[in-house]
Amino acid sequence: MLAAGPPRARLGACVVFFALLVAALPRPGLALTLTDMTGRVVTLAAPPQRIISLVPSATEIIFALGGEERLVGVTDFCDFPPAARQKRSVGGMIAPNLEVITTLTPDLVIGTREGNRYETFDQIRRLGIPVYLVHAGNVGEMLDAVGRLGHLTGRADAVAPLAARLSQRIHAVSTAVKSLRRPRVLYVLWPDPLIVPARASLITELIGLAGGDSITSAQSGDYPRFSIEAAVARAPEVIILADHGSGTGMQQRHQWDRLKSLPAVRTGRLHSVDGGILHRYGPRVVDGLDQLARAIHPEAFR
Amino acid sequence: MSAALVELSDVGFRYPGPAPARRFGLSGLSFSIGAGEILGVIGPNSAGKTTLIRLLTRVLDPTDGRVLVEGVALSEWPRWRLAQRIAVVPQELPPAMPFTVEELVLMGRYPHAPRRFFETSADRAVARESMEATGVLPLAAQPLGALSGGERQRAVLARALAQRPRLLVLDEPTAHLDLRYQAECVGLLRRLNRDEGLTIVLVSHDLNLAAEVSDRLLLLAGGRAVRVGAPAEVLDEALLASVYGCAVVVDENVATGRPVVHVVYPEPLPKGGGNTEVRS
Amino acid sequence: MTAEARLARVLIALGLGLTAVVAAALFVGSAGLTPGAVIEVLAGRATADSTERVVVLSLRLPRIAVAAIAGGALAVAGVGFQALTRNPLAEPSVIGVSSGAAFGVVVAQLTGGGAGLGDTFRLVAFGLAGALVAGITVYLVATTQAGFPVPTLLLSGVIVGVFFSAAITVITSLVDINRLGGIIHWLLGNIGPVAPASLLVFAVLAAIGVLLILLRARELNVLALGEESAVQLGVDAERLKRQIFFGAALLTAAVVAFTGPIGFVGLIVPHVLRMLLGSDNRFLVPAAFVGGAIFLLGADTLARNIVAPAELSVGVITSFCGAPFFVYLLRTRYRGGLP
Repeated sequence: MLAAGPPRARLGACVVFFALLVAALPRPGLALTLTDMTGRVVTLAAPPQRIISLVPSATEIIFALGGEERLVGVTDFCDFPPAARQKRSVGGMIAPNLEVITTLTPDLVIGTREGNRYETFDQIRRLGIPVYLVHAGNVGEMLDAVGRLGHLTGRADAVAPLAARLSQRIHAVSTAVKSLRRPRVLYVLWPDPLIVPARASLITELIGLAGGDSITSAQSGDYPRFSIEAAVARAPEVIILADHGSGTGMQQRHQWDRLKSLPAVRTGRLHSVDGGILHRYGPRVVDGLDQLARAIHPEAFR
Repeated sequence: MSAALVELSDVGFRYPGPAPARRFGLSGLSFSIGAGEILGVIGPNSAGKTTLIRLLTRVLDPTDGRVLVEGVALSEWPRWRLAQRIAVVPQELPPAMPFTVEELVLMGRYPHAPRRFFETSADRAVARESMEATGVLPLAAQPLGALSGGERQRAVLARALAQRPRLLVLDEPTAHLDLRYQAECVGLLRRLNRDEGLTIVLVSHDLNLAAEVSDRLLLLAGGRAVRVGAPAEVLDEALLASVYGCAVVVDENVATGRPVVHVVYPEPLPKGGGNTEVRS
Repeated sequence: MTAEARLARVLIALGLGLTAVVAAALFVGSAGLTPGAVIEVLAGRATADSTERVVVLSLRLPRIAVAAIAGGALAVAGVGFQALTRNPLAEPSVIGVSSGAAFGVVVAQLTGGGAGLGDTFRLVAFGLAGALVAGITVYLVATTQAGFPVPTLLLSGVIVGVFFSAAITVITSLVDINRLGGIIHWLLGNIGPVAPASLLVFAVLAAIGVLLILLRARELNVLALGEESAVQLGVDAERLKRQIFFGAALLTAAVVAFTGPIGFVGLIVPHVLRMLLGSDNRFLVPAAFVGGAIFLLGADTLARNIVAPAELSVGVITSFCGAPFFVYLLRTRYRGGLP
């Protein structure tokens, strides 16, 4: 859908989509029947007052919207903003502690299919707690998530300013690189075995917005494995190494430096970006987009 | 009898652990094995026969006393050098031996050049001779799994002979052999003893076999040497009755003049006797 | 024919097979080079830093080397464990040693960074520690007076394997979701092009492990008679067992550190070779090295081509071959018929 058009048009569509959505959402105070981002119907007795987020991205968005007062629990991985650390942790994403979740008496749990487990959702639902799933495979869905989370946390007013700020940052970047030649980009999510972003991932869209042409954008799925040989044959001009801590990021640079046929290696255009920012669809994605654009088009940001 | 090949003086061994394991031990064992003699080792179950074999071959080190081989303390012998002198024919092979007869027999050449990767043609010649002597040469290429119990036993004997030992220790050598091969086996052992001067220690439950073949017998019971001497001295009715706990009659093989032991089997209990109590 | 001549003949035949698989692996790949281009590169006529040259010399060749060494090492480790336990189903992945090594390597990956030479040694050291702990545990659990009966060995291998898999899960559940994908793919077993210096380290470690086992091949034959008989034939059985165990664990750990755990190579290759060559370890160990190289290189060439430009984990392919083979062996050859 959105992925087809040029970045600018896609962005516009997103904003319209999200505005319609805001209008469609019911007012607080009534029993609510909602559809979450995976199409599931979620019924709430009342607007939620005690929310647990099992999704670091959602936690970031809720804080950015100023809705953290209603946030009573987060995961161990919800480390941004630093204030999120002050919230009670319910454990990891894969196996959060159901007892802690129960004692926090939440009226809504926010989850995701990327990192949580279906079993966890079932168990939480059996405790009588509704589960709302979020998901974002592109910028439009990310803005959609902002709108939805704003309404769920009673911060609908904050949605439009935040969305506008994010849209504006994205717009600024895409404008700066719009007229420039789009170099072939290899984004390395994981070095060994090589894992890359594909058609259905947010990163692929961000690379496009940052003025690059991802050489793995035609692959199906979101983060498939990819042959290094095929990557070399596609002669990337820029290589971006996602940094997830030890063994990744620039630490794997020497592994690529040996492949001297790569234009990116010959011109020294290997860059590292913060995987913790780019692989979450929180508000900091625009910072990640900035990092990407500066890596792909340093000449546009001098 | 010529000079002693093996001498045990006051040898004892205790297995570690609780009482049941300890009953297989040995104590106060003193005797010698003369070069060229055939010594039969007899005794009831758990008398310490297997432990004795382990002590002679340094699988176990004695806890008391010492064992001399060719006048040198056993602990001074490198294992491979000892294996050039003493070969053991075990009761049986592990059930899943994936080798051929020839491969098995060639293993007997290991102690003569443990550093060598492949056997030499001289090693192969020795292996052939050993297989010929035990009648398994036609089976050389057969896998051990395809052999009958008797054939396997002769293949193992061939392996021990391929070690070219001075002392051959046999643990129940005829247990798996039918009469014909028992006879052949005894004939072979006697020939090796007479022609090659091979010293033999024969550990057996079969008192008559031991009496027939051996120059001397060693009667073990409860980990001690009860008596050592000529078969006629050791196979004494009263002594055997007390050691084995059953009545025996000893008479003489008219052909060889060797003693023959007969067990006196107990009469069955009268019908309807004490059995009813057991059933209730 | 002397034994030396027979060994030479076996190795030449297997060497020809390996040459054929290496050639196939050099000429196929997702970069879609023409055979002519590959030959140009091999003849040294390609321009420096051309894509063809980089694909053939920096990607395909090192990957071929890693696959061949890893396959050979795993097969020899299998022969070693089988001789040690006198049990033909023993294999690094079946008896839990791979899981132990994988646990060690995952710990090393997460506690330290980098991919330099020092890090390579660290990964191997952690892997070796894990392999030794797992191996000793299986040894202690499975050993009975009658050696290592098949059911006991398999069960304790499964138990130790499950334990270390659980330990790996504990670690991965503490890991950020973005790292998880990489680790999970690594756990399936993957072969990639390794830098020349690391490749040299891998080759040296594999050579040490293979030599530790190969030089004792004759004694391993004798060990098949049982420990007591082996001692009576002059073998220092305790030292032999320690050396073989260490060698096989080193091979397993090195392979796991460089490729992740790859299953069943050590089971399939020695078994097929035993059917062809018999059980003499002096033939089996060197033949298993070359045979393992052929098998894993073939599997890896499949793994990187059947879904190109995506890739499969080579461990998936070996398991697809190995698991049915294992079942076949259990149902036919060892149906209650082993010590």
